[in-house]
Amino acid sequence: MYFLLLVLLFMVTILVSLNMGFTPIPFQDIVNILLKNIPFLGDSVHLTQFQIDKEPIIMLVRFPRILCGALVGAALAASGTIFQGLFRNPMADPYTTSASSAASLGAALAIVLGVGVSTFGLLTIPIFAFIGCMISVLVVYFISRVGSRVPITTLLLSGIAVSIFELAIVAYLQTIAGDRLGPLTFWLIGSLSSTRTTWMGLLSILPFIIFGIIVAYFYSRDLNLLTLGEDQAQHLGINLERVKLLLMMVGALLAGAAVAISGAIGFIGLMVPHLARLLVGPDHRILIPSSVFLGASFLVLCDGLTRMLTSPASPQEVPVGVITAVTGVVFFLFLLRRKKRVEAL
Amino acid sequence: MVDLSIDGVDCFYESVKILEDVRFSVKTGTFLGILGPNGSGKTTLLKSISRVLKPRKGAILLNDADVYKMKTREVARNMAVVPQDSAIAFSFTALQIVLMGRSPHLSRFQSESENDLAIARQAMEYTGTWRFADRLVTELSGGERQRVIIARALTQQPKILLLDEPTSHLDISNQLEIMDLLKQLCIDKKLLIVGVFHDFNLAARYCDSVILLKDGKIVAAGKAAETLTSESIKNVFGIDVIVNKHPVTDLPYVIPISKPKDQQQRTLSVHLICGAGTGSTLMKILTDSGYNVTAGVLNVLDTDFATAEFLKIPVATEPPFSTVTEKAQKANLEMIRKASLVVVTSVPFGFGNLQNLEAAVEALKRGTPTYIIDEVPIETRDFTQGKAKALFDELKSLGAIFVTNQHELLDMLHVSEEKARMANGASSAHHLKPGRGSRKII
Repeated sequence: MYFLLLVLLFMVTILVSLNMGFTPIPFQDIVNILLKNIPFLGDSVHLTQFQIDKEPIIMLVRFPRILCGALVGAALAASGTIFQGLFRNPMADPYTTSASSAASLGAALAIVLGVGVSTFGLLTIPIFAFIGCMISVLVVYFISRVGSRVPITTLLLSGIAVSIFELAIVAYLQTIAGDRLGPLTFWLIGSLSSTRTTWMGLLSILPFIIFGIIVAYFYSRDLNLLTLGEDQAQHLGINLERVKLLLMMVGALLAGAAVAISGAIGFIGLMVPHLARLLVGPDHRILIPSSVFLGASFLVLCDGLTRMLTSPASPQEVPVGVITAVTGVVFFLFLLRRKKRVEAL
Repeated sequence: MVDLSIDGVDCFYESVKILEDVRFSVKTGTFLGILGPNGSGKTTLLKSISRVLKPRKGAILLNDADVYKMKTREVARNMAVVPQDSAIAFSFTALQIVLMGRSPHLSRFQSESENDLAIARQAMEYTGTWRFADRLVTELSGGERQRVIIARALTQQPKILLLDEPTSHLDISNQLEIMDLLKQLCIDKKLLIVGVFHDFNLAARYCDSVILLKDGKIVAAGKAAETLTSESIKNVFGIDVIVNKHPVTDLPYVIPISKPKDQQQRTLSVHLICGAGTGSTLMKILTDSGYNVTAGVLNVLDTDFATAEFLKIPVATEPPFSTVTEKAQKANLEMIRKASLVVVTSVPFGFGNLQNLEAAVEALKRGTPTYIIDEVPIETRDFTQGKAKALFDELKSLGAIFVTNQHELLDMLHVSEEKARMANGASSAHHLKPGRGSRKII
């Protein structure tokens, strides 16, 4: 029930945010432009001159950016859901497991070393972010290994420690970045306004994120059992170490892919799973899809707001991370209050 | 049919050996209890059986197959575990939790069928949890939650049920309810139940067999009634217990007794004139403090007699509800003659035990110091139309020492003890520090 509402919310969000921005374009025209671009079917749609003028804004600027935002939001939310279920810890998210900071480090290295621009073009930053993320999560996993098992507490602690280490190196890289400090800083803040949010950028992360979400969904029952504790999960037939390693890799994959294209956007991985759980309950079979759509809608909406706040008077865009934090916290506190009141009755 | 064999298992945490050469074998329909003090390896044993902690030596065999070579899912279809603390952080409903028990029977791409739901419902009805199937587990009481977890274990349709102190967080009525339920399962569903328990009496009442663990080794194993003896419990737990037959169930019933303090050898011996339970505490305190204690005349079946028997105190006895005979009186006087002092407790006097007061008079006349604990006025406990009162007055005139309670008595005894020691020239250390050893006893 709530899930269908969330899907509906997602669709509406996309349409609304196509409308948001510097240049006003009415909904009617947006729909027409979108229809025109559907293969085969679009041939029968005829655009007005106004629509033809605005088509590049929709199809080359706003639509890829919105879809990237949706993918990033979905990936961060799914990653957070996986980590929270896996660690039975509400504080677990792509940050505390070092996935985000590792991706940042990888990307920062790419920018500072200059490989991002000179060698393969834009795609190198995602690849560096992605590799950093996987290596870091594996390092954390093996550091926290005790005998043949990996207790959740040591995993979280070493995740935070490694994360601090990586952020320290990123800080150092900022001091030696020289003329690359500008792009580096902008990327570290986290934003969807960069040159990466194009159809090309979208395609470069789409397979990873879709794959990650599908795998996470197939392991949703395992995640349910893991929330009961590791021993109980094993007693109920979970091949504990294998499933844990696999889910960590999937969480890292999702976080890495998201950070690769948007930089580090906070709050989504931590809060969206909580919000989704308040709405649909803790069953991961419904929680993961719900988180995915809620995360996607949320980030797209926040990004739309950043574009609305941009005007000729203040041409510098507000980073989307600022918006996600401010709106997200308010919404979260509201839901928490309401839930408490219901329970008190 | 299922057969579980623990074959010479050694378990380690890092380099610390927790279990050593544990071996036993149990079959379908048995309710086995594992008992032992903290740190004896009970929970570790359960962990190694449930495929969580792999033994470094030996094997856990389920119908002759090594569980560590089986798939986790296959083990979960045969063996379910009810943990000690079932607190669940996420707000699943009770039914969702119970349905999780089906997961070892389902493949990754399969969701629960009507049949799975029916199995879960049956387990919930059996455990009395169906009526709150839709409530959140986070809002259930400890007992309700534990029953939900048992329902989940049943939904796994296992042949073996492992329990780690399943009732330790529950109140007494919930404890009995859960244990009754488990016993029923053992009989109805022919389950093999292996449980770790803290409480001997719970184990004695419900388990067919018990294993006593100490320092990671099995020290006793067998039928509950034969294995739970005061000797074996003293050996394993280092405490004194009385093992009686339970009046209703006829099963062993264990009453723990606190550890005696370090005993001091005393030179004085005390004869107690008591009865009706007025001397029991004093007997325990005096023997623990190292005094030689005798008592009499007591009727067999008197509370004080039972205590004396347990503490191995010599007693001049008389059959139940009969008047003190000449023979018993003689035995009593003999004991008094050997004692260095006599203590008369605040026992009620009737014609049946009036002779005991006469014995006290006799003692005084012979010059044996006599202490009278005068907690209750003699008038209120004299059922001899003043005869006991008269004897009391005589005792007073003969120089009996009246004290108001047992603490005062003990103080005076310790002082006499010191004096006696000095007179005997015993222990020069005590000459230098008089009274030091005796005060701490009180």
